[in-house]
Amino acid sequence: MGNNLVLFSQRDEDLAFCGAVAASAGLSLRKVNRLSEVVDGVRDPERSVIFVDLGSAETLSSLEQVLQAEVGLFSELVNGNYFHFISDADFEECPWLAESPLMGSFILRNYRDPNEAGTRYGRLVGSSLKDRAFGLAGVLGPSARVQKVRLGRSTQKQEAVEAVRGYVVAAGFNNRMATVVANAVDESLMNAIFDAPVDASGKQEKAMVPRSEDFPLDGKNQVEMEIGFDGKVIGVSAIDQFGSIDKNRLLRHMSKVYMNEAYKVKSTSAGAGLGLSSSFQSGGSFFFVCDSGVRSEAMLFFSIEENYRKFREQFRFLATQFYF
Amino acid sequence: MVKVVREGSGNSLTIRLSGPIEESVNFEEIVGAVPGELRVITKDVPRINSVGVKAWIKFFQGVSVKGTKLVFAECSTAIVEQINLISNFTSGGRVESIYVPFACGQCKAELIGLFACDALKASGLEIPDLQCSKCPGKAVFDDIPEEYLGFLQR
Repeated sequence: MGNNLVLFSQRDEDLAFCGAVAASAGLSLRKVNRLSEVVDGVRDPERSVIFVDLGSAETLSSLEQVLQAEVGLFSELVNGNYFHFISDADFEECPWLAESPLMGSFILRNYRDPNEAGTRYGRLVGSSLKDRAFGLAGVLGPSARVQKVRLGRSTQKQEAVEAVRGYVVAAGFNNRMATVVANAVDESLMNAIFDAPVDASGKQEKAMVPRSEDFPLDGKNQVEMEIGFDGKVIGVSAIDQFGSIDKNRLLRHMSKVYMNEAYKVKSTSAGAGLGLSSSFQSGGSFFFVCDSGVRSEAMLFFSIEENYRKFREQFRFLATQFYF
Repeated sequence: MVKVVREGSGNSLTIRLSGPIEESVNFEEIVGAVPGELRVITKDVPRINSVGVKAWIKFFQGVSVKGTKLVFAECSTAIVEQINLISNFTSGGRVESIYVPFACGQCKAELIGLFACDALKASGLEIPDLQCSKCPGKAVFDDIPEEYLGFLQR
């Protein structure tokens, strides 16, 4: 599925970026000038991938109105998995995007090199066009060797995090960069171990269990980790067997700003989100893939840079693929 | 696992924390009784995860509510990042000094320099370059100034 990449943007750098995305994903690029033409892509039986310049909340609102009028905003034709929004403002500055049924993927327009960023993001788009987008290998460059590790017990998390930190330093990242990666992996594994397990009714089973508790990770509770490096980008993923990520909750967490008084951390709750949002703000790119009731994979990507400042300002995205 | 060294006497206690702060931390246990002033030195805290952050806030908020004066000194880069990220991370305490990250433009070495917050404010948040300790090169501030020093402008 998906033979076309429909781009709604007047920006030259978006055209260059999406040209590289299309080439990398094996798609034909079609630039459109009116939001009504985006509807043609939504109606396309081959399901086009749609990239939209998210100029403001009004752009999104207009797109929602056009889709509502033409096909119905909640029709089967409208699927967030196919929408990619490009923005100058960071994700936490666009909380209205997190609330939109169209939100699938967010791209921060700090390409540096649109061709390189587009080629990289195109691998993710290509992966998203397969039946299921699981696996780091589909997103990292072709030279990456991906290793898989299975955690036997919950208390092996810290050991795994330190091993990742060592791997990242050995790959040439400096210590602060490695710390950011280690923290992101820590939070992702914690979510896979404690937040993913749900019972048949969807109720979380281990959300309130102390994070220091030791228990086996076997059967349905099995947690795996993948890690790979393609010479430019390091990827790490945490995989659970529940497929229980609540997309709306995830996006709300990722768009939170903890400096606002209203978002003070409640020390009495074990809620997730703080770690993931801070990892995203520290330079990481995320790709969440969730097959409901089957499996979830939280993939993290960080490109190696010559210093920490460039690392913080690297090309970033927050992508999702949800299968119901 | 984080470790603590306690120093001081009378009404003042200094604790030096070292190691990552994560789910295994129990501040009540490792810090013990807290007097009227508590100085917290985190030079050797390389990272803190979200569970560590919650434990940190719970402990220091509790201490602050009881009237203890909190002073955070020699804050590591990991702690400075949290101070910038979370509004109530210091529980009303004073940040006395922070480690500032530098990168050598020549040999790419990572360095840190200790700066008093009052001096940084007095200088208009100007951070001077450093002489690299590993080569003849010059080391420059290696982060986004408006973010790393953001808490000093609030």
